[in-house]
Amino acid sequence: MDMDMDMDVPLPEELELLEANSHFYEEPYIDSPPSDPYPPQSPPLKNLEIDGSKRPRNSGAIESPPEENKRTKRIDIEEEEEEDWLRYAPPEETNVELAVEKDEEVYLSRFMSAINGGCMPVTAPSGGERVYAKISGAQRDEGLEKLNRKERSKGLLPEPVNVLLQRVEQQAFAKALEASSEHQNDITIPKTTIVHEQLWVEKYAPSSFTELLSDEQTNREVLLWLKQWDSCVFGSEIRSTSDEVLSALRRHSSTQHKKSFDLDFSRKHRGRRWINGNNNHIDNVDHGTNNLKGMQDFWNKNSRLTGPPEQKILLLCGSPGLGKTTLAHVAANHCGYHVVEVNASDDRSTSTIEAKILDVVQMNSVMADARPKCLVIDEIDGALGDGKGAVEVILKMVSAERKHDFGKENNAKKKGSKTAPLTRPVICICNDLYAPALRPLRQIAKVHIFVQPTVSRVVSREGMKTSSIALTALAEFTECDIRSCLNTLQFLHKKNETLNVVDISSQVVGRKDVSKSAFDIWREIFHKRRTKRDRKSNTSSGSSYGEFDFLHALISNRGDYDVILDGIHENILQLRYHDPVMHKTVKCLNSLGISDVMQQYVMRTQQMSLQVYQPSVAITLHRIVAQVQKPTLEWPKSFQRYRTMLMEKTDILRAWHQKIPPYISRHLSTKSCIEDLISPLLHILSPPNFRPVALHLLSETEKNNLTQLVNVMVSYSITYKNMKSDSLSSNMGHEAVSDASALSFEPPIGEFISYKDYRSDHHVLALAMKQVVLHEVEKQKILQVSTGKSAQRTDGCCNGDQGVVGKGASVAKSAKTIGENAGAGTKTFEDAKNISNTKQGNLSTATVSSSLVSSRRATVEAKQKSTSDFRKARSGFDFFERFRKPSSRGSLDSEIAVVKEVTLERDLRPLLFKFNEGFTNAVKRPVRMRDFLL
Amino acid sequence: MLWVDKYRPKTLAQVIVHEDIAQNLTKLVTEQDCPHLLFYGSSGSGKKTLIMALLRQIFGPSAEKVKVENRNWKIDAGSRTIDLELTTLASTNHVELSPSDVGFQDRYIVQEIIKEMAKNRPIDTKGKKGFKVLVLNEVDKLSREAQHSLRRTMEKYSASCRLILCCNSSSKVTEAIRSRCLNIRINAPSAEQIVKVLEFIGKKEGLQLPSGFAARIAEKSNRNLRRAILSFETCRVQQYPFTSNQAIPPMDWEEYISEIATDIMKEQSPKRFLPSALKYLIVLLVRGKVYELLINCIPPEIVLKRLLHELLKKLDAELKHEVCHWAAYYEHRMRLGQKAIFHIEAFVAKFMSIYKAFLIATFG
Repeated sequence: MDMDMDMDVPLPEELELLEANSHFYEEPYIDSPPSDPYPPQSPPLKNLEIDGSKRPRNSGAIESPPEENKRTKRIDIEEEEEEDWLRYAPPEETNVELAVEKDEEVYLSRFMSAINGGCMPVTAPSGGERVYAKISGAQRDEGLEKLNRKERSKGLLPEPVNVLLQRVEQQAFAKALEASSEHQNDITIPKTTIVHEQLWVEKYAPSSFTELLSDEQTNREVLLWLKQWDSCVFGSEIRSTSDEVLSALRRHSSTQHKKSFDLDFSRKHRGRRWINGNNNHIDNVDHGTNNLKGMQDFWNKNSRLTGPPEQKILLLCGSPGLGKTTLAHVAANHCGYHVVEVNASDDRSTSTIEAKILDVVQMNSVMADARPKCLVIDEIDGALGDGKGAVEVILKMVSAERKHDFGKENNAKKKGSKTAPLTRPVICICNDLYAPALRPLRQIAKVHIFVQPTVSRVVSREGMKTSSIALTALAEFTECDIRSCLNTLQFLHKKNETLNVVDISSQVVGRKDVSKSAFDIWREIFHKRRTKRDRKSNTSSGSSYGEFDFLHALISNRGDYDVILDGIHENILQLRYHDPVMHKTVKCLNSLGISDVMQQYVMRTQQMSLQVYQPSVAITLHRIVAQVQKPTLEWPKSFQRYRTMLMEKTDILRAWHQKIPPYISRHLSTKSCIEDLISPLLHILSPPNFRPVALHLLSETEKNNLTQLVNVMVSYSITYKNMKSDSLSSNMGHEAVSDASALSFEPPIGEFISYKDYRSDHHVLALAMKQVVLHEVEKQKILQVSTGKSAQRTDGCCNGDQGVVGKGASVAKSAKTIGENAGAGTKTFEDAKNISNTKQGNLSTATVSSSLVSSRRATVEAKQKSTSDFRKARSGFDFFERFRKPSSRGSLDSEIAVVKEVTLERDLRPLLFKFNEGFTNAVKRPVRMRDFLL
Repeated sequence: MLWVDKYRPKTLAQVIVHEDIAQNLTKLVTEQDCPHLLFYGSSGSGKKTLIMALLRQIFGPSAEKVKVENRNWKIDAGSRTIDLELTTLASTNHVELSPSDVGFQDRYIVQEIIKEMAKNRPIDTKGKKGFKVLVLNEVDKLSREAQHSLRRTMEKYSASCRLILCCNSSSKVTEAIRSRCLNIRINAPSAEQIVKVLEFIGKKEGLQLPSGFAARIAEKSNRNLRRAILSFETCRVQQYPFTSNQAIPPMDWEEYISEIATDIMKEQSPKRFLPSALKYLIVLLVRGKVYELLINCIPPEIVLKRLLHELLKKLDAELKHEVCHWAAYYEHRMRLGQKAIFHIEAFVAKFMSIYKAFLIATFG
C-alpha cells in the first residue's frame, strides 16, 4: 500500500512524453511506447493479464498465445493511458459473469501476495499499466486486503508465471518496434468470427475498478462512499479502512481530478478528437469542484465516525449507457460485497422489495460466498408505480435509522422489526434524476450525476478499419453512449465494412432518440457550440444545417414546448449579447410572441400537428442570441407564480364581489372594481382628517362623516380584521405598526394596490380609529340586518338603506347625547387620570374582560383618548367580548348604568347593551349576567 | 354607500347624462315590446345604470327585488358531464348573468342554461309582460363558439325572451348577433356632462364647489363617470372645504404604470447611453413590474394601453405614430395569444429600440 502511494504522482516528464507521443500519431489508439524499462522481476499476474489483452489491439495478436486469447474473449479490457480513460465511461453491462469477477479477484490477490512478498515493481510492464496502478493503488489494496481474508486465492493459470512474463516482454518489445509505424490494423478477423456470437457490450465490459471508463471523479467518490461502510459492515476487527487510507483516497480524488483537467487543457489543441471533450469541460469543472467541496464537508463530518456514511443511499444518475450499473457492480465487488441487483424486470412492489432489502441487509449467506451483500436497485425511476414502492421502503428504512442514535453499533441487527435500520449499502441507479418518484429520495441520498464522457474510445479490436474521425462521429451520434457505440460497431462489423463518417451518418442504427431534460435544451439553445461548428463545417456539408438539425431533433424529442419557451423567456434577458439598438431583443421577443400565438391557436383548434413548427422558433432564437459562454439558467417560475397569484387575487375579488349586496355589485364588474374603485375607495375609507377621539367629542360634521364612512364600509361589506403585525407591515409597509394586534381590511383590498417598489400615498387610519370604526361597522351591520328583515326592501334598495342610514344616525345621536352628559366630567377628571388608570386596572381584574380588551384600553389610554361607547353586540368574536365593559371616563355615576339601546330591537337581540362605567371604587360591585339580560 | 351608488338614477326619468337615450328607451318600452338590445360603450359611461332603469321602466319596482343565486349546473356534454358554477341575479322577470365568468366553457352556459331559461315562459297570464329578460354582461368576452350558439337562441326563443347584452366593445361581438339586436351606443360622458353630474351631487350634498374644480376632476377622470364621482368623493374625504387647486388622488395602478414609463424613458436619455447589458436589466425590471400589475388583476390590455398613454406623453411628436402602430400590433398579438407578458415585453423592447434609434439619429 505504501509503495503504491509513493507512486501517486506521475513524473512530469513522463506525462510530457505521453502527451507528445499521443500527439504524434494521428491514430489515438496506439499506446505510446512504454517509457519505463521493464523490470526483470516477476510482475503480478494481473498485469500480465491486462497486457496480454492489450497487445492484440496495439500490435496484432499473432504472437499472443492461445490461452491468452481465450482470456481476452472473456474479459476484454481496454486499457488506456490514465488521462484518457479518466474521461470515458465504461460500457454499461448488467451481467458481469461471476466467473470473470472471481478470476479478477484471484489475480488481484495474487498481485497482493506478490506485493506482500516485497515485490516492488507493480507498474513495470507497460506505461499504461504503470499509470493506472498509480491511480487506484490505495483503493485496490484496500479492497484486496479484505478480500484476502474472505477468499483464498486459487491458482487458475495453467502456465507458470515465468513463461507468461517472457511472453509479455516479447510483446512489449514488438509493440515498441511497431509503434512508430502507421500500421495499426490487425489481422485477427478469422479469430473474431468465432466469438461474434457474444455481444460486444458484454465482451468489452470492464471487470475491475481500474478498467472503468466512466468519470474518474465519480468512480472515486462511489468507492469512497462504499469504503465508509466498511467499519460498520465488516465490523471493527477489520478496520482496514483506516483514516489515512481514506484521506489518501480523498486527496487522490482531488488532486488527480485537477490534474486531469490540466491535461485536458493542454490537450486542447492536439487534434480534433479532443474538441468535443472541451465542450463538456466547463461542466466537468463545475461539477467537480462542487463535488469536491461537498466531499470535503462530508469527509470532515464523517471522518471520526465509526458508523455508516451519513447518506445511506447512493443515487447514481445519468443518461443511458454511461456505465452506471457497471460502476456499481464493479465498485461493490471491489470493496468485497456481493452484489444483489433488483432491476426493472423484477417485481418491485412494496412488500417484495421490503422483503428483499431485509434479506440483503440482515442475512448473511451460509453458502461459500459469505461476503456481505450490497443492494443495487437499478432503474429505480423506471416505472412510477413500482419504483415508488421501492423508494418508499428505502425512505422508511433510512428514517428508521435516523431515529436511532448515530453512533450506534450497527452490527446489532433487529430481526423482526418492520423497519430495520439500513446496515448495508444501497445503490440506486436512475436515468432521470428529476423523476417525480425520486423526489423524496433525492433529499436523503448522496447523488452522483454522471457527466457525459468525452468522445469515447470504443476501440474495435475485431479487425475493423476505423479512423479516429469516424469513431468520434459515432460517439457523438450515440451521445457518448458506450453501449450503443459497441452495438453499432458490432452491427457494422458483421457487414465487414470499414467504418467511416459517411457510413455512420447514413446508418440509421447509429442514431438514438434521446429526450433531454429541459435544462439541457435551454443550454443548447443559449450556448453556441463554436468548436463543434468548426469541425462540422470541415466534415459535413454546412454548419447551419447540422446545427439546425441537431437542435430541431433535440427540441422536438422533448416536445414540451410550453416549458421550453417559458424557460427561454425567463432566461433570455440574462444573456449578454451585443445589441446596441436592441434589434436582437426585439426579434427574440417577437419570436416568443409568435410561438405564444401559435400555441394558443393550436390549443384552441386542437390541431396538434401544427406543433411541429414550434422548434423552429427556438432555433431562430438560438441563431440570434446564442453565446459561446455558458449561460446560467433558471427554471421558469415567474409565470407560474403569476398564474397562481392571479388566481388567488381573482378569488378574493370574486368572493368580495359576491358579498356586496346586488344593488351595488350588479353595476360593478370585477374589472372596473380594480380599475376604478379600489384606489378611491381606500382613500374614502381612511380619511386623513378623522380625529381619533371619542364619538361624543366629534363635531356634527365629523359625526356625519363617520356615519357615511361606516355606511360605505357596510354597503361594500368591508370590515377590519385582526391581523398579525408582520403580514400587515408587509401590506402597508410605510405605516409603522408596532402593535401586536393590528387591524386591516377584511377583504384585503389594500393588497390590490400594494405593488412592489411602489409607495401609495394612502393615509392609514390610526389603530384606535380603526377600532372605533370597526365597532360602528359591526353595530351597523346588525342594525341593517334587522331593518332588512323588517323592511324587506319592498320598495327598492335605496329606501331600505336610507332607513338604515337614518337609524344609524339616530343611534349615533343617542350615543352622542349620552356621551355629552358624560363628557362634562371629562375635563374635570383630566388631571386625575393616573388614578383612573389604576382603577381601571382594578376594574379589568374585577370584570371578565379579556386581555385583548385591556390591551386596547391601554392603547387608548396611551393616546390620552377616552374611548366611550364601546358597544358590542353579539358580533363579538368571543364570548367574553360580548360582555366587555369598556371604560368611559365621563360618567361619574357610582354604579354601572345599563342603558338599553334601541328598545325596538330588544326582543330580537337580547344582548345588545350599552355600558357606562364609572371610575370610583364604588363601581366594584359584582353584577350578574342575567341582570343584563333583562 | 358611496355617492356613485347613492346618486345613481333609478328610473329613466332621473337620468342626467344620456337623456336622449333615456327618452328613446322610454318610448321603446311603452310600445309593449322591445327588441333584443345591445348596449355598448366604454366603462363608466352608464350602461348598466340605463339597463336597470329600463328594467324598472318595464317591470316596475319589482325589477329591483333581486336575489343572488349561486348555482351549480351539471351539463351533459356527450360523454362527460361538466360542472359549472354560475352566479345569477334574478328577479321575477329577469335574470342577470355573466357567462364569460366560466371561461372557455361559456359555450355550455349559452347552449344549455340560457336556452333553459329562455324556454320557460313566465306564467303571467295577463299577456302583457309575457316575456322574460335575460341580461348578459360582458358579451364581448364570450368565446366565438358561445356567440354562435347565442344567435340561434336569440331567434328561436324570441317569443318568450328578450336579451339585453352589455359589453364594452361591439367589435368583439359577432356580426350576426349585432344584426339581431338594436344596438345602443352609450357614449362616454363628455366633460361637461360630468361636471353637470358633479354639480348635481355637490348640490345634493350641500357642498361648496369652487369654480373649475369639477372640471378638473372631470378632466382627470378620463371621461369615466364612475371614476369622476369616486374621485369627487375622495376629494371630499381628503379635504373639505375644497380649494380649486386641490390635489386629486390618482389611481394607484396608473401611477405605477407611469413609473414604469419613466423607467423606460429615463435610461434612454441622450446624455448617457447605457451599455447594452443594462438595457436588458430595464426590460427585466419592467417585466417584474408588469407582473405585479397583472397579478393584481389589472387586465393586460389596460396595462398596455395605459403604458402607451404614458409613453406618448413624454415622446417626441414624430415618433408617436410609429409607437402607436406598434402598440396596436402587439395588442393584437396579445389577444391572439395567451401569455400577455411576452407581448407587453416585446412592446417595451420595441419602443426602446425605436427610441434609441431616434436618439442616435437626432443627437448623433
